[in-house]
This record gives sequence, C-alpha cells and structure tokens, in this order.
Amino acid sequence: MSHGPADDAIAGRAPGDRPVLDPALAPPFPIAALPVLRNLQLRKNVAHATDVIQAKRAHLVAEKTDWQQLRTAAAGIRTHALENLGAYLEQFEARCTAAGGVVHWAADAEEARRIILELLREENATEVIKIKTMTSAEIQLNPFLEADGIRASETDLAEIILQLGNDEPSHIVVPALHVNRGQVREIFARTMGLPELTDDPEALTAAARNYLRKKFLSVPTAISGANFLIAETGSVAVVESEGNGRMCLTLPRTLITLAGIEKVLPRFQDLEVMLQMLARSATGERMNPYTSLWTGVRRGDGPQNFHVVLLDNGRSAILARERQRQTLRCIRCAACMNACPVYRQTGGHAYGSVYPGPIGAILTPQLTGMRYAKSLPYASSLCGACYEVCPVKINIPEILIDLRAQVTDQERHEAVRLFDPMYLGMRIANLLFARAWLFHAAQRMARIGLRVFTQRDGWIHSLPGMGAKWAQSRDLRGLPRQTFHEWWARRKEVK
Amino acid sequence: MSASSRQAILDRVRAATSATAGDHAQLASTYSVLPYPYIHAGKLDAAARIALLVARLREYDAEVVECMGGELPAAIAAQLAASGRHSFLAPPGLPAEWLASGFEWKIDRGLSAEEIDQADGVVTAAFCAIADSGTLALHHSPGEGRRVLTLLPDWHLCVVRASQAVETLPEYFARCPSPPPALVTWISGPSATADIEMTRIKGVHGPRFLHVILVHDEPIHDKEKSPHHSLRLKEAPHFD
Repeated sequence: MSHGPADDAIAGRAPGDRPVLDPALAPPFPIAALPVLRNLQLRKNVAHATDVIQAKRAHLVAEKTDWQQLRTAAAGIRTHALENLGAYLEQFEARCTAAGGVVHWAADAEEARRIILELLREENATEVIKIKTMTSAEIQLNPFLEADGIRASETDLAEIILQLGNDEPSHIVVPALHVNRGQVREIFARTMGLPELTDDPEALTAAARNYLRKKFLSVPTAISGANFLIAETGSVAVVESEGNGRMCLTLPRTLITLAGIEKVLPRFQDLEVMLQMLARSATGERMNPYTSLWTGVRRGDGPQNFHVVLLDNGRSAILARERQRQTLRCIRCAACMNACPVYRQTGGHAYGSVYPGPIGAILTPQLTGMRYAKSLPYASSLCGACYEVCPVKINIPEILIDLRAQVTDQERHEAVRLFDPMYLGMRIANLLFARAWLFHAAQRMARIGLRVFTQRDGWIHSLPGMGAKWAQSRDLRGLPRQTFHEWWARRKEVK
Repeated sequence: MSASSRQAILDRVRAATSATAGDHAQLASTYSVLPYPYIHAGKLDAAARIALLVARLREYDAEVVECMGGELPAAIAAQLAASGRHSFLAPPGLPAEWLASGFEWKIDRGLSAEEIDQADGVVTAAFCAIADSGTLALHHSPGEGRRVLTLLPDWHLCVVRASQAVETLPEYFARCPSPPPALVTWISGPSATADIEMTRIKGVHGPRFLHVILVHDEPIHDKEKSPHHSLRLKEAPHFD
C-alpha cells in the first residue's frame, strides 16, 4: 500500500474515516501508531509544530529567572486545592450562585450531556457556538447534540479545521497541528465554497473570520470550558488567543460552562502564578492575547443566563489514589506532549483519547477506571522530559510506572498464569537472578545461543519463536565476548 | 439538576481526600503557609519599566506612542486621524476631552451588538498595564467599557497612564481591589492565532489593530540615566 504524501488524505486515512478517540473503542497504541509512522506528511507536520513551540517555550522559560520557584508555587497551590477540593467546590458553588450563576453537578459523561441538552432545549436552541473545550470532547458532546438536532459549531480556528474536515483533535492546545496549510486550504475551499482560496495562512484565517462573524452575532447560546474556577469569588477564567472565546463569552444570551471538578483554584491571586506559566508553557508566549474572567451574571454585559456544569467522570477516583492524585494538578498546557519523543513521532491520534501525549497516557486510563487505554502507560520511554517541562511538577514517569504495575496486576489475576509466557519468563528470570552461579551459566548459554542470530553488524534484528514479537520493534546488541565480571577477573590476574 | 449527584460527588471527593466539611479556619491556615518563593516586586526604575512595557507591547504587534498629560487629546486625535477611520465608539465614562472633534462618536449606553460591530474603532482607558508580559488589564469600569465594546471593532485604542504601569504580574494583582474584580479581560497584543503551521496571524476575531497611548503624568525625572529617546530603543532592558 502506497502512503506517499501526495495521495494522503488528511492524517493518512480514507475520507470519512475518523480517528477513534473513545478509549473504549480505540485500538491499542502500538497498532494505532503504525499507520501514522508510515505517514511522512503527518510526521513532518507534527515535528514542525512541536519544534516551533518547544523553541519558543525554551527561550521564554530561560528569560524567567524564577521559573523553578514559580513551578514550586504552582504545584503547591494545585496540590492544596486538590487536598481540599470538597471545601473549595462548595465555596465556588456558593459564590457563583450568589453572583447569578447556576451550578450543576454531573457524576459522569452521560449526566453532563443530559444536563447540557436540557438547558439547550429550554432555550429552544437549534445551534450552539463553542469555545475549544477538551472536556466537551471527553464527554463526546458534539455527536450527542447533533443526534438531538442541535448543531454544535466550533469557533476556534483549529477546531473549525477539524470539524469541517471531519477530523479529530491530535493536541490539546493546537488541536490541528497535524494538518498543514495545503490541507486547510482544501478543507476550507470545499466546505465554505471558496474555490479561489489560497493556502496563505493569512487568507485562511480571514476566511474563518468571515465564516464565523455572522454566527457570533446571531447564535444565542454558547458552550465553553474553563481553565480555572476561582473558589474565593465564584469566577471562571478562560485563556485563549483568537477572540472567539470572548465572542462566545460575551455575545450570547445563555452561556454553559463545562468544567472538570479539579479546575478549582483557591483564590483570585493564584492566577498571578498560573498566568505566568500557562502561556509560556503552552504556546511559548509571555501571555496569550486574551484571558477572560467573569463572575456569574453582570446586568447589561454578557450572557444573562449562566450555567456551570461541574464534571466528575472518574476524577474523584483518581483523587483517591494518593500517588496518582498529582495527575489532577494538570493545567492542560501540553508542554509534556511537545517535549515527548514518542508523541513527536506519532502525533495525538494514536493515543485513542482526546488527551494524548504523556499527560494523556496517565490521565486516560485512570479516567476509565483502568478499564481501557491500558496500552498507554507503555507508550513512553520514561525519559522524563515531560516531568522536566511540567509547570505544576507532575511526576509523569512515576505515575506511568505505577500504572504499568496496575495493568500487570490486573492481567495476572485475569490470565491463567502458568500458560502466560511473560509470567513464566519472569519466574525463570527470578530464579536466575537470585543465584550467581545460575546467572553466570545462563550468560554463557545465551552467548552461545544468541551468536546464531547476531548479524555481521553486531546486532540481533530478529529472533525465532516467542522472541519474534519482542524483536519486531527492537534491535538487540549482540552479547559481548566476555562479561564485565570476566573482564574484571582477568584484569586482576594480569596485574 | 440532580441533588443526589452533587452529594455523591462531594462525598466521593471528601472520602478520597479524607477531608471533613466546613473547617474553613484550618483551610485558610494551610493555604497561608503555601510556598510563594517567586519574584513579586520588579526592580526597574520608572523609565526602564515604561521602556520594557513599550518593547513588550510592540513585540506582539501593538502600536505604541507616548505623550505628556497635557498632550493627550491631541495625541488621541492624531491616532484617530492616522487610522484613516471615521466612526468611533466610547464607553460612557471616557473623559469628554478625549472625544476628538472631526470624527463620528457613539457613546455606549446600551448599543446593540450590530451597532458596535459597524463602528470603525473604539477608544478606552485601562485599569493597569503589566510590562513583563506586555499586558493590558481591563476591569470594565465605565471608562473601560463593556466587554463587547473592545471586541467587535477592528481597531482598539487604549490609553494607559505611566502611573498605571507595573513591572510584574504579581504587582498587578497586589494593585487589584479587594474583593477582586468580577470582570477582567487581560489583553496582550491584538487577537492572534498560530493554528496553521504555527505561523502567528494577527486578528482572527478580536480587534486586528491594538494601539496604546502611554501618558506621562510628569516629565521623567531621571533624565540622565534614561533619556526620553531611550524609550524607543528596540532592545528591552534585561528583566530578572
């Protein structure tokens, strides 16, 4: 099958064949990653985008002499907020309600979708404009609303590209980073009826501006996510670049904000830490062009009906596991995916989740209660680049290892162990490693045995039997003629 | 709304964190000992602070001019004229002397979104400007206007006094009133996107043109150290 860049559809798939981002249905990571690895255009797009953001981020972080102190403060604030989440959620609810907002609680995705649908029905809505919100993608809101006859129109440039291109997000900050300008031109020309459109990013952006301006002025209901909920004041903050967010937060009559329960900050002033870190980490800017903060309803300014839907959907279960709790500190900056050597090769779709990259690899399986996405904790080399760039100091490698242990424990209970080659192999290794003489004997045997498979270049590229699967994606250096112990012993003799 | 979900979520959250309801005094005391080791106050003098603000605003494509307090109405008129635009909006609290003659003005006393959309531009004040990130903070007072006012027009002229400029973001938060403002828009440069191949494009949905007039309330005192023309230097002073 040919996968030349010229005949590739977007992201190298047949038209109409969307990437699967539902963890319950998505194929395991190694299988989902294969077609992407063959798609050179997509890899080029992803590498370019992540390179650009990484370079800009590195420059601005170096400029900030108190960056590590800011990380310490940010991690401290987020940890404290999570440890006292119940109190802060109640405080947020009370203050938001006092300011004219209505707070709803959704235990899972289904309840959140139902609440939002009911609110839209009360408004007799046939269309709703949306600010980019990964949480709404997590609960698969758009297809649900469409099935009930309500058109969900995305307004973020990247989200428009994906919606009109029948595609899915592959990054949480720059969701269409896998699509290049030529592909955007093709999508816009076809769906907006603009055959003359050029692939100049300026022209493409102007096309989106014209396409949406009428919608902003006419659609009376909007849905947003939230970057931060402020417990002290009941305020909500949304961080964005284009102004589509401000349009949705200002022009409609009714605004519904969907927010994970972990998004709470204790106080307004905590933003002085978060806002210094978020844009620098996310897009490599000192500050993003627009950040909006509002509190309930202001008469004469903005939506007069305001609802907040607080979503649990697996978060309280993550909170209960002390070591994994730090997952919920995440402020969704995506610095971890830009830095990840695995993400940079595969892009986001292979993760089978709206949350890709290192944070997705720990968040997704946990959100499903370790039922799905069990291959994701293995989609990492544990190099630690994600931890190093994380503005709230989430120790992602530590959690990856912990989740791997959980997956193994589960499988051990499920599988009939004596027939499980991995289990047997580990038992044998356990025996060998416990006895020096056995270990040395095994080394000698392996050296002789593996010599047959060692190629001229000194590498083992393939193995027979059970080893074949292992060697499929790995090369093994042929064993050296002598072990370190043998060399050490001989060295002593010579002296 | 399902009251049972509310209780179920709060119960699960409390069980997960082994926290008890209603102990607000203890909450405040654990919050107060959180580490805040980062830089709070800036170190630059007034002239260098302004120079940094100007450099950072310009870096993200805002146009900046400076003037003395007495020259402000003339400076506004000059900006309006140079824009080549004719119809402008003003929030109700904008000083009357800022409404330069020779242009069409609409004062926002409940204008419709369509009327605002048809204007060529808008002139407002600001609450504060943060030099470190080149950010304007609008708290939407009568002089700063409703949120929609600085959103739909394609051209925004914002007037900032030198005394309103701070160096760091924490300095801005220290200046915020208590209780905190209910509405804030933080603006850093004109609307932009980098969604297509990380190429920064000005003006997607918000104003494509952001102009700032920096008003010096008194002559810059430390003239020898920071002569006025140094404000035009391209290179920003080192910030640490």
